Amino acid sequence: MMRCAVLSLVLILATQANLAAQEATYTLVIKDHRFQPTEIEVPAGQKIALIVKNDDPTPEEFESTELRREKVVPGGGQITVYVGPLKPGRYEFVGDFNPKTARGHIIAK
Amino acid sequence: MLGTAIIVFREVLEAALIVGIVLAASSGAPGRGRWVSCGIAGGIAGAGLVAVFAASIAAAASGIGQELLNAVILLLAVGMLGWHNIWMSRHGRELALTARAVGDAVISGSQPLYVLSIVVGLAVLREGSETVLFLYGIAAGGGGGIGSLFAGGTFGLAGGVAVGAALYLGLLRIPQRRLFTVTGWMVLLLAAGMAAQAAGYLVQADLLPPLGDAVWDTSVVLTDNSVVGKALHTLIGYVARPDGIQILFYLATLFGIWLLTKWVGSPPARRPGVSLRRGIETPLVILLLLGGLGAGSVAEAQLKVRYPIVDYREVEIEHFGDITFDKPNSGKTNIQRYTNEYGLGPLPGWFVELGTEFQAPNGANITYDATEIENYIQLTPTGKYWGDLAMFAEYEMPIHRGDAKTFVFGPLAQTEFGEIAGFGALHTLNLLFTKTVGNNSTDATKLNVAWQSRLLIDPLIAPGFEYYSQIDQVLNPGKPAEQQHRIGPVLVGLQNFAPYGKLKYEAGYQFGLTSATPRGTARWRLEYEIPF
Repeated sequence: MMRCAVLSLVLILATQANLAAQEATYTLVIKDHRFQPTEIEVPAGQKIALIVKNDDPTPEEFESTELRREKVVPGGGQITVYVGPLKPGRYEFVGDFNPKTARGHIIAK
Repeated sequence: MLGTAIIVFREVLEAALIVGIVLAASSGAPGRGRWVSCGIAGGIAGAGLVAVFAASIAAAASGIGQELLNAVILLLAVGMLGWHNIWMSRHGRELALTARAVGDAVISGSQPLYVLSIVVGLAVLREGSETVLFLYGIAAGGGGGIGSLFAGGTFGLAGGVAVGAALYLGLLRIPQRRLFTVTGWMVLLLAAGMAAQAAGYLVQADLLPPLGDAVWDTSVVLTDNSVVGKALHTLIGYVARPDGIQILFYLATLFGIWLLTKWVGSPPARRPGVSLRRGIETPLVILLLLGGLGAGSVAEAQLKVRYPIVDYREVEIEHFGDITFDKPNSGKTNIQRYTNEYGLGPLPGWFVELGTEFQAPNGANITYDATEIENYIQLTPTGKYWGDLAMFAEYEMPIHRGDAKTFVFGPLAQTEFGEIAGFGALHTLNLLFTKTVGNNSTDATKLNVAWQSRLLIDPLIAPGFEYYSQIDQVLNPGKPAEQQHRIGPVLVGLQNFAPYGKLKYEAGYQFGLTSATPRGTARWRLEYEIPF
């Protein structure tokens, strides 16, 4: 099982390594445990790269069950999350460590 | 404080459920408390480290360090859980056969407890690192004082542990004899869910294609975020909106581990030389793992060339069969076999078929012989490389309970190469291994080779030749005369009735090359495919 996993991982990495990312990029900033902007409009049916910058000193977790994404954003750091291709619709995301204030959504059109 | 408690509870819950299952699965094994404690302690230490280095991990590997770490941790845990189940299937039998006292000795003597210890450690590490980061965020200036933080963290932790303990105590109420069957299934589902989660991380890192975004959506019934959703997520891998590849990883792990436990746990060989054979066949085990899913065949493999290119979003109905011709009293004449199959391509790269086999040896009445499930997993994108490659895996259940069940698996390869009179030629090769399990199974691994080359003159008519061979014991192949080899012409073609579907046909005649092979065999195949 492990051998299989490692082997397939290597194979996948090898085939993907030379595919440069050409996705449209969108940026989200976390400040005072809030996302800015809180709404992002993206084209449906296309893969996008979402850059999440954390201007707070404390870590945050970008999480969206609707997008099936969760990724820790270190304090003062930034991450990239690939999303889609999405069907048209509204997709909520939250900062899992501050779920009351850090909320936003993506609208795919 | 309540918010803190709830978040900590949710994180702890997942790890606690896993620890509960592991404790139940290893019940009766002395020393397991120490091993599990070691796992928890190691996991907490690891969680602290991961939290401290969160920034470097996030930046590692061009920004996908987190996903890689999570996927590797999960796949490691899947490997350990699979290993545990395979080990139990082998030794659980001894346990049941011998007196309990002896059984305990077996457990204490050789059960690899470190395997479960690692699983616990990995679970605590994964869930713990998020908890540590979260608590650090609050402590470093989020909301609330240290007192509220401490209280919330403690309540959350206690709540999670309480649920894990309740699961463990509940499992212990199951009679000892059936406990390991139950924990075996739980461990299997746990592993499948973890594999699906790992696939999710690899999609997030853009290393795997999603193969269908949110294939279904049950979030109306149960969201992933609810406590029940979280618990089911851990226990059985519940995801409200799964990607296609997550479903594929889930099923592949479920069937892969299950088939390996059936295979390894099947009654020990009656002949000497078992350990040697197992050693030699390790590559076959890996082959099965690569295929992911399992498989079978009758005493005589069906005469059919299988193609590696899988039709996504298609249903098909197929009939094929063959009939042999030889001297009247040779026992090799008038053997008729018919198979009907119903297939579906639910995901890109995966085709599954349900088949029913009928046969009529030597002019006897036609009887229903076996039911089979076949899987085709396409490994290379169609036409991307020099050839196309797929893995085939089949599981066959005979109607007569005394007959052995069989797995068939192996690679299918195809390439277009060379030309004659301006027409291209298409070549297909199948290497299928057959293994019997259950009642009346044997140690033998059978090899069936099928090869077809045809000239692409017209979609409606492509003439070619086929070669089929069968070696009953691949490790002890015997003389060529004892093996079956046949070769002969074939005609292949299709008629497209788009958008209503496609009709495909094949017809061939095979000449036997050895005395063990019938002198002549006619084979045919008809297939109708409908896109959806």
